[in-house]
Amino acid sequence: MDTELGFSFMLSMRVATIALLVVTVPGLALAWLQARRRYPGKVLVDGLVLLPLVLPPTVVGYFLVVLFGRRGFLGPSLESLLGLSVIFTPTAAVLASAIVALPLLVKTAQPAIENVPVELEQVASSLGLSPVALFFRVTLPAAWRGILAALVLAFARALGEFGATLMFAGHIPGKTNTMPLEIFAAYQSGNDSLALTYVVVLTGLSLLVVTVAARMSPGTSNR
Amino acid sequence: MTLANDTTLDARFTLTVGSPSNPFCLEAQFQLDRGLLVLFGPSGAGKSLTLAALAGHISPQEGLITLAGQPLVDTRRSIHVAARDRRIGLVPQHNSLFPFRDVRGNVTFGLPRDQRRSRNDVVESLMDELGIAHLADARPDALSGGERQRVALARALAVRPQLLLLDEPFASIDDAGRRALQDILQSILKDHGIPAVFVTHDVDEARRMGQQVVLFERGRTTRQGRPRDILGIDRKVSITGQVVEEVEASGADGGDATQTIRLSSATLTGPRDSLEANEQGQLHIQAELPLKG
Repeated sequence: MDTELGFSFMLSMRVATIALLVVTVPGLALAWLQARRRYPGKVLVDGLVLLPLVLPPTVVGYFLVVLFGRRGFLGPSLESLLGLSVIFTPTAAVLASAIVALPLLVKTAQPAIENVPVELEQVASSLGLSPVALFFRVTLPAAWRGILAALVLAFARALGEFGATLMFAGHIPGKTNTMPLEIFAAYQSGNDSLALTYVVVLTGLSLLVVTVAARMSPGTSNR
Repeated sequence: MTLANDTTLDARFTLTVGSPSNPFCLEAQFQLDRGLLVLFGPSGAGKSLTLAALAGHISPQEGLITLAGQPLVDTRRSIHVAARDRRIGLVPQHNSLFPFRDVRGNVTFGLPRDQRRSRNDVVESLMDELGIAHLADARPDALSGGERQRVALARALAVRPQLLLLDEPFASIDDAGRRALQDILQSILKDHGIPAVFVTHDVDEARRMGQQVVLFERGRTTRQGRPRDILGIDRKVSITGQVVEEVEASGADGGDATQTIRLSSATLTGPRDSLEANEQGQLHIQAELPLKG
């Protein structure tokens, strides 16, 4: 049982970490785009980014199955071209977690980037900085607290992902059984003490992560 | 189109910003040969927007901007040089310093890493000239408003710009500090031979700073010329043998408020903010047109 718990814990951590790595670059790019640029269809993009946050995760899972399933839109071509089958694999768990974590990342990082005075970026670009250099040398150092908080919250959300993961990755012991799925399985089979163990571990971990994020948030610092 | 060879900056462009229901249209046309050009006008007349177009942070819809003979913007030929390739220094009014760097880090920010050492002498002498050498290790939030703007100026000059843009740089600094900074700026620009465009809505500052003044009114440049021709003359006049008998204000505060000053053998009437008298019989007259004689 201990090894099962250990496996599940490590799998959850791995899935959440990779999901975070997957969403960091597109998430921060989206946050920057929404904070700094005006373009046609911006409101629509805003809505699409928020969608995974407001939809039931099962709906997100359903979309993923429709896209990547064996008879989905992309699934067959991925399988024939690259020999990849995503559904019911740890990769599916990563994708599901990444998509539900994205809105939290974008919506927390966006105001942090908006708060960076636009004059600083103008001065920097007049001093010859490229857009990428500008992000790393001005925006990031000026907004790092908010961006770190966004990453931490996204990680916590990825760690706790259940609905979309169950639909898309399934509950396969030894393969896709992350902690949230294990809680449900243990509870269903009447193993209340095992469920409680997972609940305590997951609650403690999330509390730690969210406390760290709260301390990092701009406005709550002791400056 | 012919231009005199000594024209440094030539700008003639239009641009529209804001929402379709509430647009702001800017129509700008002016030249800078050498020295310092003042863009003068009330707030919201389009001065800062003009500066943003010169810097390359906003693109004109139509027109051209050339700097030292090279086009920065030419809408007919679809030329829009990016801000980072213009070699134009920028000193904003607010939020001018990078808060996460000390003073030296701010001044050297625009220098490529491999030049920071080789150009150390230049940086040191710039910081000396601007009187900020002793603040090299200070953080921006520990500086006064005047010190911050000195650092911002040093940072812009360290990369040897072709042109310097200053957007009301001394607006939030007290009078004495502003005078000192105006003098320092003028002597530095002269020593380094860097042309500059200076935005202000303060008529005294416009008079002190500009060799040339461009007047902005409601999104348009209406006139360009010497400060005395554009802004009129600010002159204190003593009238001997006259005693101020009565000073009478009429009209509400604002545009049409007038002031009437009765002297022993004459009466002066004019807008309240351009006519003042003190008890010694000294009159302060701001004239729209140059006074003859």
